[in-house]
Amino acid sequence: MTILTIIGNVLIAAGALVFTTAALGLLRFPDAYTRISAVGTAGGIGIILVVTGALLHQPTIPDVIKVLLIIALQLTTSAIGSIAIARSAYLVRTPLRRSSYNELTENTDDNERPG
Amino acid sequence: MIALDVSIILIAIACVASTYRMLAGPTEADRAIAGDLLLFGVIGLIALFGIRAASTFTFDIVLIASVVGFLGALSLARALTRGKR
Repeated sequence: MTILTIIGNVLIAAGALVFTTAALGLLRFPDAYTRISAVGTAGGIGIILVVTGALLHQPTIPDVIKVLLIIALQLTTSAIGSIAIARSAYLVRTPLRRSSYNELTENTDDNERPG
Repeated sequence: MIALDVSIILIAIACVASTYRMLAGPTEADRAIAGDLLLFGVIGLIALFGIRAASTFTFDIVLIASVVGFLGALSLARALTRGKR
């Protein structure tokens, strides 16, 4: 196990953790706009970390060129795709949850209601 | 190799979670967003399985899949508004 393999393992694990946090945000966030912000981050940085770590396991010159191309394409296109989906979600009037928390009331249903 | 296996399991958990959101999501936008994350997760799984099997065509497939993923995201955005811009 060389030093490059160890660095690659660390990068792959970091990318997998980015994916897992994005999935956690997708499950727990209240409305579509906060969910698209979590997914856009994962699509940009998660793919780049995983692919760079995968390159460091078997580094060859053609693979380095392909990975540079993947990184450039992913950085430019993932944010555009996320913004396009969020804009379409706004155009079809997806409900936007106003986050407010009233800590003086005892009725917990009031706190859950968007408004 | 253990880091690769743990990473494959973590990304698979992310794919399962996005599938749940795609099936259960209250609005159509949630389903489109879950499809976006599912596609990114599949691209990551392709890269990791390619490394694990020591394939030489891994990065070609990942390159094509990332371009197709961009087109898929734009198509989801277009389908969400029923073809209007």
